Amino acid sequence: MRNDFKSGECVAIIGSMTQAMRAQSILASAAIRASIVKADSSKTGSGCAYALSYSCEQDDNVRGVLYNAGIRPRNFYGG
Amino acid sequence: MIYLDNAATSFPKPFGVTEEQARCMRQYCGNPGRGSHALALAASEKIYECRCAIADLFGSAHPENVVFSMNTTMALNTVIKGSLRLGDHVLLSDMEHNATFRPIYKMAREGYLSYDIFPTFSNDPQTTPSDICRAIERMIKPHTRMLICVHASNICSAVLPLAEIGALCHRKGILFVVDAAQSAGVIPIDVEGMQIDALCAPGHKGLLGPQGSGFFLLRDGLSAETLIEGGSGYNSLEGNMPNEAPERYEAGTLPTPAIAGLCEGIRAVRRYGVENIGRHERELNTFLQERLLKIPRVKVYTPHHIGSVLLFNIEGIPADSVGQALAKYGICVRCGYHCSALGHATLATPAGGAVRVSPGIFSTWADMRTLVGAVENLCKNGI
Repeated sequence: MRNDFKSGECVAIIGSMTQAMRAQSILASAAIRASIVKADSSKTGSGCAYALSYSCEQDDNVRGVLYNAGIRPRNFYGG
Repeated sequence: MIYLDNAATSFPKPFGVTEEQARCMRQYCGNPGRGSHALALAASEKIYECRCAIADLFGSAHPENVVFSMNTTMALNTVIKGSLRLGDHVLLSDMEHNATFRPIYKMAREGYLSYDIFPTFSNDPQTTPSDICRAIERMIKPHTRMLICVHASNICSAVLPLAEIGALCHRKGILFVVDAAQSAGVIPIDVEGMQIDALCAPGHKGLLGPQGSGFFLLRDGLSAETLIEGGSGYNSLEGNMPNEAPERYEAGTLPTPAIAGLCEGIRAVRRYGVENIGRHERELNTFLQERLLKIPRVKVYTPHHIGSVLLFNIEGIPADSVGQALAKYGICVRCGYHCSALGHATLATPAGGAVRVSPGIFSTWADMRTLVGAVENLCKNGI
């Protein structure tokens, strides 16, 4: 994952590219914009992983929408 | 040239398919799911778009359960070998392609499993779905774990009643695996409604995509062992393959140009309409069958059904010789056993098999008239 977080940027570590795309699509359906980024491999514990970057203002919404869709991010960073 | 071998692979492809493949190669052919630069992301987006198109076409809400494979054979092998356990019993139909029969036969020969072949009564015009289901039910054993069947035969017009068989399998707790090599894009399929656990299909036949773009679609929650292991683009430090589909089953780089082409093939199928495509092919074969049945010495197999495939022989002329003679008229058909020893045994075709005609969405009435004329000439004048 990038270590150069901009202020107000949050990141949810998802895992595979497919799951990241699925999560992005589900968030888009809820009118939440998120970008796919590659997570910092040194922070995932298991090597490469994909993550979603989004505005921290949407953090609660992102967590709720993903949870309701059955997507469980491995971790959340930023703020 | 008159191409009537769409059961082997569809030809020609819609313009958009070849254009998108070329555009992919020129503009966005990064490695999907590897890295996060612009080309890798663009390729990943196209792959995901195709997963969504496939899931949507077959009634699944889970694009992540669409797993790409080289072809239907690879898909079936992955599902079969990844799901079955030592001592399992398997049921398969008497119309199966070798893509199903050979893996099962090998596993049985090695003592890993046992199998039985259930009848489809394809030669009997009076057969109902209940007849087939009753026959299946009689063959189910306590350790029957999987039933595999073709949706539409690759050698004749027989179509199996998936909804009824799926309901039976679901009731009995048996995994239901479908080989949709001849039906995907030609006959509507709803994996949820038909209670299909794994749908295996090619991209290069009825879905009008390029070769190398096969896939299987797993029921949500179903997991299988992997057939091959390797890079998955994530969890790179772990020795095990990831647990999640589709990456669990997709070790190595995907063929992005082929999948991009498939995406356009499915778009074309959507535009024409699956039911319209199937109807067009059946109408052509209805015309062909009516004409062929009027020619002395011609035998048409399963004439009580009309499907996208028509199988015939000319008495006294080996099937391969008929094929070679038709090739001189510029007509492409497939002769022999069509990789379906079971199916040919069921239909009792003679040594040498038979001649298969399989029109596609771009086939015309003129194509069929030319074929009829060529067969009439062969019957009258010999080869």
